[in-house]
Amino acid sequence: MASDWAIKATGLVKRFGDRRVVDGVDIAVPTGAIYGVLGPNGAGKTTTLRMLLGIIEPDEGSRTLLGHANPREASDQIGYLPEERGLYPAMNAREAIAFMGALRGLNWKEGRKRADELMEAAGLGHAVDEKIRKLSKGMAQLVQLLGSVVHKPDLLVLDEPFSGLDPVNQERLEKLILAERDRGATILFSTHIMSHAERLCDRLAIIAGGKRRFEGTVAEARGTLPQRVHYVPHHEGDGLKALLPPDAIREQDGWGFVMPETGVEAILVRVIEKGHGICGLSIERPGLHDAFVKIVGRAALEPAQ
Amino acid sequence: MNNNRRLIRQTLTIARRDFMATVFTPLFLLFLLSPLLMVGFALVGALGGSTIARGTADKDRIIAFVSSDDGAAMLAADKRLRRIFRRAEAPPALFIEPAVEDVEAQARAAFVTKQYDAAAVLYGPLDHPQIFYGSQSGRASSYLAQLAEQALRDRASGGKAALSVATKIPITRTVPSKSGHNQSAFLAVTGIFFLTLFLSGQAVGTMAEERSNKVIEILAAAVPLESVFLGKLLGMFGVAVLFVTFWGVLIMQAGSFVPGGGARLIAEIGPAVGFPTFVVLFFAYFTMAYMLLGAVFLSVGAQASTMREIQMLSLPITIVQMAMFGLASSAASQPGTALATFAEVFPLSSPFAMAAHAANQPEIWPHLLALLWQLLWVAITIVIGASAFRRGVLKSGSGRKPFFARFSRVAVRDPIDIGVS
Repeated sequence: MASDWAIKATGLVKRFGDRRVVDGVDIAVPTGAIYGVLGPNGAGKTTTLRMLLGIIEPDEGSRTLLGHANPREASDQIGYLPEERGLYPAMNAREAIAFMGALRGLNWKEGRKRADELMEAAGLGHAVDEKIRKLSKGMAQLVQLLGSVVHKPDLLVLDEPFSGLDPVNQERLEKLILAERDRGATILFSTHIMSHAERLCDRLAIIAGGKRRFEGTVAEARGTLPQRVHYVPHHEGDGLKALLPPDAIREQDGWGFVMPETGVEAILVRVIEKGHGICGLSIERPGLHDAFVKIVGRAALEPAQ
Repeated sequence: MNNNRRLIRQTLTIARRDFMATVFTPLFLLFLLSPLLMVGFALVGALGGSTIARGTADKDRIIAFVSSDDGAAMLAADKRLRRIFRRAEAPPALFIEPAVEDVEAQARAAFVTKQYDAAAVLYGPLDHPQIFYGSQSGRASSYLAQLAEQALRDRASGGKAALSVATKIPITRTVPSKSGHNQSAFLAVTGIFFLTLFLSGQAVGTMAEERSNKVIEILAAAVPLESVFLGKLLGMFGVAVLFVTFWGVLIMQAGSFVPGGGARLIAEIGPAVGFPTFVVLFFAYFTMAYMLLGAVFLSVGAQASTMREIQMLSLPITIVQMAMFGLASSAASQPGTALATFAEVFPLSSPFAMAAHAANQPEIWPHLLALLWQLLWVAITIVIGASAFRRGVLKSGSGRKPFFARFSRVAVRDPIDIGVS
């Protein structure tokens, strides 16, 4: 029976020595969604993913994957691309993909056939017989990604999938992720590159210092910061600053300030009446990057555990 | 899919990968033919050794400073007695020299000449001969004494032809002898020891590939570590079976050229359980010895983080194997003793000692128990090894210190991080 949640984890804790690397993280990934786990280096993203997959056991907390309390029972329905890429260098690309499929229950013959199709679709058809050791780093990374989807998993977990890829391969990967979602798979990926998360994620969690600091949609994350107004007057004058909100600061060619709760209209009326005019006006919505920096920066100010 | 079926499938996938990765490489040919190199080196060594030995033997001699009559009698006795010795065990050649006036000085001088090496020298009357001999030539001196005795006996019998004329009839035993059992026990222990010495040590470095390639993360995510360990062990065992089959077939073909005398010898050293059963048990115990020692080596090797550490492990591994061989060999020569029982029960020596048991005792049921017992220990070793790997390498343990570290103030090395952010 299809569940609303592909992953549901509560209170995950992992200690290494005296350090709580993951400290009570909750994650709920809706079925069919693309879900991002964002965080700075050392935030605990990889450890969280490894706990979700059952590679390591949490010290506290529980998790359910595709309805199974033991992730091993869902093993054949999961695809995983680890942060540290790993392939057998002596295998050729076709065998490497088929091997990863075989680990997840796909028979070798079917695995080889699908490997050919996937490599062709990814524009790597020419390299299907090449040994892994002869492929470029980016190509090997794509081969590994294809190996993680060859058995058509219901849940795809990607740990920092974009790192080390050139822009062309990054775009290929984005397309592949979207294609997997369209096929019906749920995708969970970790990254610290905001642009990918902003383009792909239906929902995301931001982790910093081992704790979950935010959970919601991209729009909700951006909504944690107010909009900013950038105003360029026609005529500067001594009284202009007094007409603007108290937080207004001089910027390169004008003034910047946070959008007041009452809106910007009243301010504009005042500056026009006083003859400063409007040469330029823009209202900037903060990006995910700004929200991330704010959320993670706030976490960094907290005393260490 | 049924959980057990999934585990078996995953285990066999790992085993298949390891088997193919090992067998389909040019290096495997070198590995397969390595016994030829060993035999070649052994032949060269033996040739050199025998040349040296022959050179030494040619120079060695026993000398009798006696009258020509006594000398002739001693030569005749030597001719007859020498027939009972194997060539390598025969005493040095006998030389008869005429005695001079100061025969004692003459005899002593034989030990300082550079023309030959005197092993023993006899002088004086044959009924009371004086014999000098070197520090390692006690047997040669006894032989000289026996020659003097025999020469006198021949003279006393008046030089007649042989007093006793024997008819020798070769007999082939229908029941193996007691010493034959012991010999087959020792052969079984030695055979399994050498096979495991050559083959199971390879298991120590098999996890190194996955760790260096970072493939372990892929495997650990898809497959329980116990299956990874067992799969790798089975893969390497497959390689070992291929090796044993290749050489087994070759040796059997070579065995068909063994003359009838060789076949009689094999019949004499027959194992107590009978040959067909013994062959099955030998293979079963080789399997268990490989799996047990391989599981231990794999588990220990998986903890090593560099090739240097793995190389450092080869000495203790060989020592462990030698110790098990020594224990099982002792058990083979003393069946039914407390030592033999200990060797049969102690997990790491059990396969060796039970193979010897099969040679010495005819009962079958202890082998069924022993195989189950050994299988249990294979499983225990794999579970412990996988658990240690999970805690030490994958960092899947709790934040508590390792068991022994809790009792020690010595700093414990940090586990290896294979990708934690």
